[in-house]
Amino acid sequence: MQSRRFTLMLTLLAAAVLLIMLASVFIGRYPEPFWMPPALMGQDPLAKRLLLSLRLPRLLTALTLGMTLSAAGSVLQMIFRNPLVEPGFLGVSQGAAFGAALSILWFSSHPVTIELSATFFGLLGLLTSYWLSTRVRFGGWILRLILSGIAVSAIFSSGIGILKYIADPLSELPEITFWLLGGLYRVTWQDFVYVLPFAAVGLVTVWLMRWRLNLLCLHDATAFSLGASLTRERLILLVTIISATAALTAISGIIGWVGLIIPHIARRLAGASAEKSLPVAMLLGGGFTVASDTLARTMLAGEIPLGILTSAIGAVLFIYLMMSMGWKARHHG
Amino acid sequence: MDNDLRMENLYFRYHRSDSDVIRNLTLHVPGGRVSAILGPNGTGKTTLLHLMLGLLKPGAGLITIAGKTHRQYSRRQLSQTIGLVPQFESIPFNLTVFEYLLLGRSPYLNPFQLPGRKDREIVEQTVQSLDIAHLLGKPAQRLSGGERQLVHIARVLAQNPGILLLDEPTAHLDLENQHRILGLLQRMSRQGITTVFTTHDPNAAIYAADHFILMQGGNIAQQGDLDTVITAENLTGLYRIPIRVESANGHTMVIMENFR
Repeated sequence: MQSRRFTLMLTLLAAAVLLIMLASVFIGRYPEPFWMPPALMGQDPLAKRLLLSLRLPRLLTALTLGMTLSAAGSVLQMIFRNPLVEPGFLGVSQGAAFGAALSILWFSSHPVTIELSATFFGLLGLLTSYWLSTRVRFGGWILRLILSGIAVSAIFSSGIGILKYIADPLSELPEITFWLLGGLYRVTWQDFVYVLPFAAVGLVTVWLMRWRLNLLCLHDATAFSLGASLTRERLILLVTIISATAALTAISGIIGWVGLIIPHIARRLAGASAEKSLPVAMLLGGGFTVASDTLARTMLAGEIPLGILTSAIGAVLFIYLMMSMGWKARHHG
Repeated sequence: MDNDLRMENLYFRYHRSDSDVIRNLTLHVPGGRVSAILGPNGTGKTTLLHLMLGLLKPGAGLITIAGKTHRQYSRRQLSQTIGLVPQFESIPFNLTVFEYLLLGRSPYLNPFQLPGRKDREIVEQTVQSLDIAHLLGKPAQRLSGGERQLVHIARVLAQNPGILLLDEPTAHLDLENQHRILGLLQRMSRQGITTVFTTHDPNAAIYAADHFILMQGGNIAQQGDLDTVITAENLTGLYRIPIRVESANGHTMVIMENFR
């Protein structure tokens, strides 16, 4: 793709995301369903408070969440040379979910405790998967990490099962279940400030190394011959972006499909080179998540868990992508 | 600087393996010439290339690249000095040929740098010199076998190394493309690049190389020029089948004996 067309696309995308965000601030169910006239801000102190202390932090967290999940998905798909990998694998999502459930059950349901516990177990999932992969005695490092990630995820998810089984069905179980479904309904400025450093380090690192990603997805011998320090560079990317994912998952619960589907759409739009597809994925993911979250809190009188919505929309997009790819394949056949 | 390669008393075994792939190997690859490595499957040719590259570390012995050991190079200096066209390289995620070729400039960029105008110019000059400029916009996964090999060579030439390793560069190619690739190897050595390639085809080796290395069981069986190395006796010993070597009009040819 030519760089002038790419710049145009990026500008249009950024403008679209800004527009979605601007609209999202005024979309909601106060004072009546779907739209708050901006002029109300000056007249109604409740409207102002609602906007500044509830909608705004939630909006920014949704944006950060979408950008991080999509960036993490892009990075993992490239590093593992596998288009079906998503940021939650390597035990991160299930680890974070286990940490949250554990905290709700035994420590406290205070948001900060849940976040710390979820981040801790999310990172523990990553480190355990990595450690386990160095102990596996067969296969290349991609296969070893993927297998280890599957095993670690399974252990954590059975742990979640046990916690749900022993949880109090009237008080604790609903809370765990709602956390697992994923959503941003509780987000405050405090939460946003908590995730910001993790997300900033992850997103900036990945952004800076976006061209290098192309090199890291070549075979080891070639990438080495071109000067890559394979283990070090891959670890830097994985640790920074997955820490960001773990911190965000600690706040949002498991938000599926964004990290899987958005990188595919981005590659469709901007081509395979991560130099271009990564920025596009970040913008698309941010916009998609903000839009989904706006729907999640507006469509019904009650909140729809964001994770359910992104999975539903993501799966439909995925089916559409698969079918349109089939069409393309026939015509080039 | 003479871009030669020296290996002395080299040993190598793979992790958790109980036998050496390379055993007490001593070899001198002369600078600025084309060297062909011949030998049966599984005799350690690819391993030897990976040792030269520095991807694998020898268990014992010494390797020097243009007079210095691998440790005396930084990662970037080493990749500016020695390049590799591997036997298998699939290009994931359908980069265009141009995007793939730009990766050849990585040794000159730090991990946070994007390729600049100079890098683009070098890639464009390289494809013009190989006469493959028409491939630039193509998705790399849609190339034919011959085109793909040319693109891999263009990528390594954009890297501008003094030493070039190629692992079976003519495997799976038709005669026209073999001819083209082997001609390229000679052209590179005329430009002063030390070229080392492995092959299973002795005639391809004769066509392109002026230095010959026969490998057997992780060691060097013979090395030297055409007349001393490519003999019926050596090749019959190497491949364990009857082989004839014919010379006429200054051309040498290796022929498998007819079984009928």
